[in-house]
Amino acid sequence: MRLTYQFNEAVIQIIETPNETDVEFDIRILAENKWAGMKEIQKKFEENSVLTDVLFYEYENHHYRVIARQDYYVDFVLELLKHRLLEKVEWN
Amino acid sequence: MEQQAIWAIGIFLVIYALIISEKIHRTIVAMIGGLLMVALGIVNQETALHHIDFNTLGLLIGMMIIVSITADTGLFKFIAIWAAKKSKGNPVRILIALSLITAIGSAFLDNVTTVLLMVPVTFSITRQLRVPPLPFLITQIIASNVGGTATLIGDPPNIMIGSAVKELTFMAFINNLAPIAAIILVIFIPLFVLLFRKQIQTKPEYTQSIMDMDEKQLIADHKLLRKCLTVLGLTIIGFFLHQSLHLESATVALAGAFVLLLLTGEHMMEEAFTKVEWATIFFFVGLFVLVSGLIETGVIAELAAQAIELTNGDIVATSMLILWLSAIASAFLDNIPFVATMIPLIQEMGNMGVSNLEPLWWSLALGACLGGNGTLIGASANLIVAGMSSKEGHPIKFVQFMKYGFPLMLLSIVLASVYVFLRYLI
Repeated sequence: MRLTYQFNEAVIQIIETPNETDVEFDIRILAENKWAGMKEIQKKFEENSVLTDVLFYEYENHHYRVIARQDYYVDFVLELLKHRLLEKVEWN
Repeated sequence: MEQQAIWAIGIFLVIYALIISEKIHRTIVAMIGGLLMVALGIVNQETALHHIDFNTLGLLIGMMIIVSITADTGLFKFIAIWAAKKSKGNPVRILIALSLITAIGSAFLDNVTTVLLMVPVTFSITRQLRVPPLPFLITQIIASNVGGTATLIGDPPNIMIGSAVKELTFMAFINNLAPIAAIILVIFIPLFVLLFRKQIQTKPEYTQSIMDMDEKQLIADHKLLRKCLTVLGLTIIGFFLHQSLHLESATVALAGAFVLLLLTGEHMMEEAFTKVEWATIFFFVGLFVLVSGLIETGVIAELAAQAIELTNGDIVATSMLILWLSAIASAFLDNIPFVATMIPLIQEMGNMGVSNLEPLWWSLALGACLGGNGTLIGASANLIVAGMSSKEGHPIKFVQFMKYGFPLMLLSIVLASVYVFLRYLI
């Protein structure tokens, strides 16, 4: 089973690239009211006890590169949904 | 030998063996050892309390509070990414930059706290560059022990020595230990490059991703940062001036911590207190009481007399014995209990007529701090990095670390021997 998701392209742009041990996300937050949500997700993963679960790299204009370990992929996607950065998530 | 002394030695040896075996947490073992000394009447409670060095404990607690609040501002991440960008994203230059930041941070914060701050950002940078983290972590361990050697607050052995010997002020540590720590670091940096450069090759696109990062975004709270930097700066100035101000270093650190809590408000207090490493604090308490049993029963005095007999009271021989013994012992044992035992021993040598104790104190500090680089279990900073790295799926093997750490430790002790000899003994 694979987790798939949908998002509003006027709110967020996501490009996902799987690697051997992790999945890399190129994320641009376009809607101003979602900037804080992304910051909260970043804070959550940076403050937990696992250092390499989901790593955030921040660039200008609310552009992020996120590297999520395979075993934390679902956690990260669900956090995006929780903060309404995604519209729909389902198992296929 | 009196019955009490035999009991004290027995308890000490059993507790020491248990600490080394790591079967039970060292704090529990040390506290039980200390409590046994009191419960069996080897020292009474009042004497035991008198032996607990509250200056060491206060200094550690104060700095832990200041650093834990400052870490929340994102300052340390900012510095690391800023340095990585200044290094043009080149992994070898980043390895050098992070080693230098670790060494300087260790000197002015303490090496355990510094590595706790550096490890997460190291994982972040190395993942982005797609290079193995271990060369960075190993060099940071070594740099933290060298940097920590330079100041009174840099490494637990120095905190304990500075606290026990009032004449050895913050400035005295800098004047006497910072030059040799700097020399060792300058020699180690090219060796790090030589040892690890082939393991940390990356691709231009990964380098570029570091260069594109916006480090300013990492500062989470600018207002808090200003408060933290002001208090941290004043605290460090306070350390430089503590003798002129007639204040103990613990008073300076605790004043900094509580002024910062006053400025940040009550809401930070609970969280800051939870970040104090109470296990380390109680480990010290247990050790002080444990060693008090040896002091009060005359065991330390007997050992000091035998050491003087062994070296015929010759200060050169005694200094070199302490330096090398401390280095080898600290490589294989925890350097904190070792120094806790050596401090009263050197003080006793003073009581027995050895007039110039200064070279002995610096030899102990250099041996205990630099000796920690010998093996993975040599210092608290090593164990913390190894533990964090292993948890993230990158274990640092004992032999793997020793392959790099032990020869570098021997080199540093040779350099320290030459330094001590030239500076204090001719």
